[in-house]
Amino acid sequence: METLPSIWRTEVLHALSVHLPLTSLILATLFFLTALVVKKSWISKASGALLIIGTIGAWISMLTGDAADGIVSRSLCDPTVLKAHENFATITTILFTVASVIYILSSFIDWSLRLKIVFKVIISLLLITGTAFLMYVGHLGASLVYQQGAGTYQPSEDCSEY
Amino acid sequence: MRVALGIFSIVTLFLTTACGGSTDVVKSGTYTGTVDEVEAEKSEIYVKTDEGQKLELYFTDKTELTKNGEAAEFSALEEGQKVEVEVKKVGKRLDPLTVDIKE
Repeated sequence: METLPSIWRTEVLHALSVHLPLTSLILATLFFLTALVVKKSWISKASGALLIIGTIGAWISMLTGDAADGIVSRSLCDPTVLKAHENFATITTILFTVASVIYILSSFIDWSLRLKIVFKVIISLLLITGTAFLMYVGHLGASLVYQQGAGTYQPSEDCSEY
Repeated sequence: MRVALGIFSIVTLFLTTACGGSTDVVKSGTYTGTVDEVEAEKSEIYVKTDEGQKLELYFTDKTELTKNGEAAEFSALEEGQKVEVEVKKVGKRLDPLTVDIKE
């Protein structure tokens, strides 16, 4: 009789760690853009918090993804999708990291008004581009799981392990 | 505004060129080339073929690794070594059947 594999196996840790940064970074972008129009300080602060949480989460996802790579690659029929997923994830993480660093610098140092505006424009562009990349990374990740079964367990025909 | 757009353009241009390391899918067969990268913890190597393609090869239980024709350990692989690899194309995945280090 087969035994049910652990939910805590290495390749599943990636799936467990990607959703927090996904939602945090998309919300951070929405909040940041909203704060440009609606002048409420809590929206701007929430955006910053979400951006930093999401960026830390993105780096953790990169680590868990790298660990999963070594396990699932041998069973994929098209590992080129995994390569694209990794490359775009790296670009996305760096874009949000740069945005986070600029956000922190612009928040805690008293810059001139002109520089503050420049920072806001740069952060906005980075977040919009980052979110577009993030959605594509998610699409590639979903393709790996739902089209190639990456990291998933196939139950036996009679489900005897349950 | 120009400064902001300039910095943004430089960052995105740098990232899209620096992080775009793609690999090639080739037909089943034997190829010679150079070891471009070794990832020991994943038992994985990248081989740059003499024709300029970059192959990503994950060793399997069936992969035979030799050095000048004699059995060798994975730790014998190093960047820059000349290798001859026999690969089997499965879907778009390349399974290395044999890898022979030529030096």
